[in-house]
Amino acid sequence: MITTRSLVKRYGDTVALDGVDLEVPAGVVYGLVGPNGAGKTTLLSILAGLRSPTDGEVEIDAERDEMAVLPDAPRWEPWLTGREVVELSVGLASSGAALDVDAVLAEAGLADAADRRVGGYSRGMLQRLGLAATVVTSPTVLLLDEPASALDPAGRRETLDLVRRLRGQATVVFSSHILTDVQEVSDWIGVLDRGRLLYQGSAEELLGGERSVYEVRVRGGARDVADALGGREWVESATAVDDRLVRVHATSVEAAERDLTAVLAETKVRLMSVAPARPTLEEVFMELTR
Amino acid sequence: MTLWRLEWLRLVRTRRLVALVGIYVFFGIVGPFTARYLGEIVEHFGGEVEITFPDPVPMDGIAQYVGNVTQIGLLVAVAVAAGALVLDARPEMSIFLRTRVHPARRIIPPRYVVASLAVGSAYTLGLAFAWYETAVLLGGLPVGGMVAGLAFHLVYLAFAVAVVAAIGARTTSVVATVGMAVVALLLLPLVGIVEAIGRWLPSHLVGAQLDLLGEQAAAEYLPATAVTILLVAVLVWSAWRGIESREL
Repeated sequence: MITTRSLVKRYGDTVALDGVDLEVPAGVVYGLVGPNGAGKTTLLSILAGLRSPTDGEVEIDAERDEMAVLPDAPRWEPWLTGREVVELSVGLASSGAALDVDAVLAEAGLADAADRRVGGYSRGMLQRLGLAATVVTSPTVLLLDEPASALDPAGRRETLDLVRRLRGQATVVFSSHILTDVQEVSDWIGVLDRGRLLYQGSAEELLGGERSVYEVRVRGGARDVADALGGREWVESATAVDDRLVRVHATSVEAAERDLTAVLAETKVRLMSVAPARPTLEEVFMELTR
Repeated sequence: MTLWRLEWLRLVRTRRLVALVGIYVFFGIVGPFTARYLGEIVEHFGGEVEITFPDPVPMDGIAQYVGNVTQIGLLVAVAVAAGALVLDARPEMSIFLRTRVHPARRIIPPRYVVASLAVGSAYTLGLAFAWYETAVLLGGLPVGGMVAGLAFHLVYLAFAVAVVAAIGARTTSVVATVGMAVVALLLLPLVGIVEAIGRWLPSHLVGAQLDLLGEQAAAEYLPATAVTILLVAVLVWSAWRGIESREL
């Protein structure tokens, strides 16, 4: 469990974190999202012990040497080989639960490059190496800052799979501005904007909760449906996205559920489906940060 | 892989050890040669102007070596030490270590010790070359004076590296650290002009290598040695504190 209470960080007059109350349950993958400058890196740096908060408290149910941190642009001495970086990570860990170095390098897709000096690695390879050096010590808390930002689609997929596999074995906090990544692997999501935590909770609650947006699919005549719905008191807006799809924003879920099908029946259109629109994290994020 | 091996690899793979040893050995070879043949060299390039030098003595060979390495040699030594001791010059690299080594001050001892050993070894090797060549070209030197002078100079070099460590823990620039350390080390002899405190300062130890070949007694350097060892401890402790309190 990671908890912060009223966490504040100021850099001169700039408030980077403004009373953040973070709660990360043990064993979950916690996705921290926010625009550039929201305070994600500052928050992770404080959790990692690299910066001190101006005010507030941090509680982490893990010893310092049970934690591992991966910065967004990991770098090592260019004259070390990839294998030596991972071996150094093992050598510095005080716990004896290190994984097999070769196996971890292979899993990171670096088996062939393991004995090359990291000065010749691409940014994506450095990020893979960072992950390898992070997971090799079997930490119980992982703090990952934009772990997939520099990776190609295949590398990103492998990284997300790796993060997903860590669920239940370790508590993972990872920040990203790639919202689809966060949505895909996170159990819990925190939305940070201008130093304030606007939302945190389970991903299911955030994305699957009751929402007053509906998508109506018809065999044609979507504009007529939109016009018919537009006059109703409970309809905030009804938009024909194309000739076969209408997106309806209701002011009341209850009214929509009672009256929507009746209005559709009146229009006599050929109805294909009516369903609540499951929002994407991007839509929720835009709503929260608007 | 340990922090100690990491520092050894830093010296070897970046060729800093080669540069360090190279510069000291170079002066170890050139110093006595210059002392022996200075008259002939000046005569060859001097044209019609005639300059008469006194006959060189064995002490001149070591004087040339010490004179060179306390300037250019020390600058190279400070630069090599700063390359290791400015921990946060590249924050992405130091994050890796700082988040794995607890407390972070544990990173300092291997860096300080390995840098000091490298600088001390380079000085010793250069002195060995200078000693041998002086013996061949100019005559023998007293073993006791040479060894005692070496010991005092090594203490001074440990102090120079400690100055780098203390400054490096508070900056993020290798160049700035080298500049500040060199200024600090150059200012000390100026302060030492004041006779009452001069024999207590670390810079006093630099003269031991030469003075102990003459009539000077080793006891003359004991006060400066004691102060220097104390300062080394304070500076390394200061580096520890600096590393612990710095934010990335």
